[in-house]
Amino acid sequence: MSQLFSKVVLGGALALLSAAPALAAKDLVIGVDSNMPHLDPANTNDTLSQSVERTMYQGLFGFDKDMKLIPALAEKVDSDETATEFTFHLRHDVTFHDGTPFNAEAVKVNLERVMNPENHLSRRSLVSMVSHVDVVDPYTVKFVLSQPFGAFVNNMAHPGTFMISPKALAQYGKDIATHPVGTGPFKFVSFATDTVKTTKYESYWKPGLPKVDSVTFKSVPENGSRFAMLQTGEAQFIAPLPAELVKAAQGIPTLNVVISPSIIARYVALNNMRKPFDDVRVREALNYAVDKNAFIKIVFSGYAEPLDAPIPPKLAFYSKQGEWPYDPAKAKALLAEAGYPDGFSAELWGATSTLAKRAMEFLQQQFAAVGVKITVSPLEAGVSTAKLWNVQKPEDATMQMDFTAWSSSTGDADWGLRPLLDSKSFPPNLFNIAYFHSAEADKAIEAGLGSADPAKRAVAYAEAQKIIWKDAPWVFLSVDQLIAGESKRLSGVYYMPDGGILTEEAALN
Amino acid sequence: MLAFILRRLAGTVLVLLTVSVFVFGFVRLLPGDPARLVAGPDATAEDVAAVRADLGLEGPVWRQYVRYIGQTLRGDLGRSAKTRQPVIAEIGARFMPTLWLTLVAMGWSTLFGLAVGVLSGVKRGRWEDQTAMVLAVSGVSFPSFWLGLLLIDLFSVRLGWLPTGGDDDWRSFVLPSITLGAGVAAVLARFTRSAFVEVAGEDYVRTARAKGVPERGVIWKHALRNALIPVVTMIGLEFGFLLGGSIVVETVFSWPGLGRLLVDSVSFRDYPVIQAEILLFSTEFVLINLVVDVLYAVVNPEIRLR
Repeated sequence: MSQLFSKVVLGGALALLSAAPALAAKDLVIGVDSNMPHLDPANTNDTLSQSVERTMYQGLFGFDKDMKLIPALAEKVDSDETATEFTFHLRHDVTFHDGTPFNAEAVKVNLERVMNPENHLSRRSLVSMVSHVDVVDPYTVKFVLSQPFGAFVNNMAHPGTFMISPKALAQYGKDIATHPVGTGPFKFVSFATDTVKTTKYESYWKPGLPKVDSVTFKSVPENGSRFAMLQTGEAQFIAPLPAELVKAAQGIPTLNVVISPSIIARYVALNNMRKPFDDVRVREALNYAVDKNAFIKIVFSGYAEPLDAPIPPKLAFYSKQGEWPYDPAKAKALLAEAGYPDGFSAELWGATSTLAKRAMEFLQQQFAAVGVKITVSPLEAGVSTAKLWNVQKPEDATMQMDFTAWSSSTGDADWGLRPLLDSKSFPPNLFNIAYFHSAEADKAIEAGLGSADPAKRAVAYAEAQKIIWKDAPWVFLSVDQLIAGESKRLSGVYYMPDGGILTEEAALN
Repeated sequence: MLAFILRRLAGTVLVLLTVSVFVFGFVRLLPGDPARLVAGPDATAEDVAAVRADLGLEGPVWRQYVRYIGQTLRGDLGRSAKTRQPVIAEIGARFMPTLWLTLVAMGWSTLFGLAVGVLSGVKRGRWEDQTAMVLAVSGVSFPSFWLGLLLIDLFSVRLGWLPTGGDDDWRSFVLPSITLGAGVAAVLARFTRSAFVEVAGEDYVRTARAKGVPERGVIWKHALRNALIPVVTMIGLEFGFLLGGSIVVETVFSWPGLGRLLVDSVSFRDYPVIQAEILLFSTEFVLINLVVDVLYAVVNPEIRLR
């Protein structure tokens, strides 16, 4: 053993000598917790791949670090009164990394690629309402929709509609997923197993950017190892930083811990068509029965906020509703009033993750305190998708209560409400597994989509949220907070509310 | 020898066919609808159908199996549901990192394990033996994720000598191969010791001594050679295990090998990749066993291969 140790020590000393000059280049390394499956934005379902795509790709619009909509490759957009025609005025000074000019023709090629059902791209739903795309002039493009869709600009800010070089699309076909060519601040270098490397794009259209020479994403699934990377300086930014390591990270003078709000809402969907959950008093009682602050403390080590509306604060058109206070006595009274003085029994479904199980067990205890006896059933993903999404008729749904989460990736209230709470969204169409049905709520949600005027949309969504909150189709629980760790040398990297990472303004000193 | 190898290869084919039935059955026996899951939340019915076809889940089961075997024999293991790349390419990219790590770890741990084992056997009951065996028991008992994190904390975070992970250069090999090899070295040390002690009591060793063969010759030529037979089996088994890619070590050190691929594909339910990996591990294992059997004859010509 001693020989081995001396070898290791010698090797280490050599390594130390050779490592010194590496600091000169401004290379940003980001440690993340899972792999980047591939880099075709139109076919990506995971936030991490989208983060990597954001370094190289851009859409007509984009999101800033707070998920506010901002112009990107389009300077502005006009829409008609009925939210069925959107005309984007494009920037004139943009080229793709392969030198292809960015223009209206490129937009048309990209959109038609995503729209074509034969391509089986998983983000087609973002453009399914587009009837056709017209090139008005080289830098103006008009989208004509088959139905009003007020949130359309948000869809054009989603990574699913990022602009890919038409030349590269023709050249690589399906292999575009491993040969990204976009307009973003960084160019693609390599995609190998668990690491994606990009390098500065010298002709980037935003003056003064990028400020670092390269960005590398490394997948390091083990929490302790990822944190070690940050400590050694092998990475300058890691996300997520697990809650149990926050204290340790705060104790290190060269590191910052960044805690930011997300758009991930946690709730228990109740089957509003089944007894006893069809009685609003029962649903209210369950909301009163849960101490949200204790829930956050136990399930999220304190890194979450109570959910105080049907959608989280960082979504556009959020409207705060207050809270369902913790009041077990009131919960019991409401149950008695609804005809369940001794409570009832029900099954609570959820995922098999540690977090979901911990949450379900906590809820089980809270509900037991008001007489509701819960059986906890963690379901394998394949089973839960079949049991929740594949149900053909509402009366066939066997779900009673489901602990679940939702993140509206378009940043808009529409995708936070319509797929989950509109009565036209019952499975298998969309994801209203609570089978919530309120004509008033439907009307408000659809009014929000029927206009592109932000003022009108705000009024509609405020109304929708008020109705839904009062009707309590879910047990409203919490909104996650995101935790990242970064070196104090680093600035300009942001952990967005949807879990994405923004690197455009990254700077190292 | 050739006849033996050919016969064993035929047996291997049978074993692999059996494995293929299990591998094939596994996706079909899972509860729920794998196609729906892989297709993702936004998928339409047609998209799900396309995925189902991709996964080979269409038509009667026997026809699915025939198709599956046919494709597998042609080296077509399907496409990864996650990355949409051919599975063979995914596995190909991960195989070499795992192989290299395995070779380095097996290399040092075999030498070290044998040396310690022989030392303990020769100095049985003395302090060298006791120290070595305490080390060996600790080596087996240390959970590798804990040892790995401990090594990272010491050599990467505190001393700053070695990287925390990746497979960039020779420095990246040091910590993972120590972590991976520690358990193997310990097992081999204990195994060699007991085999050695057993052999040391045999008549032919006594005879060698009586003939006046120098002690060094007795140990290396007469005793060790015979003691090696069970040890070679053990080395073969350990090699087979490690070649599957250590899930824990590859995860702790973010090593881009087969073990991590397996974890990723299980957590994503990437069925084509999981199926291919199981098939690959089984093949490796069966082949290594074959090599071990052949090695018996090399180590000890007394053994006739039948």
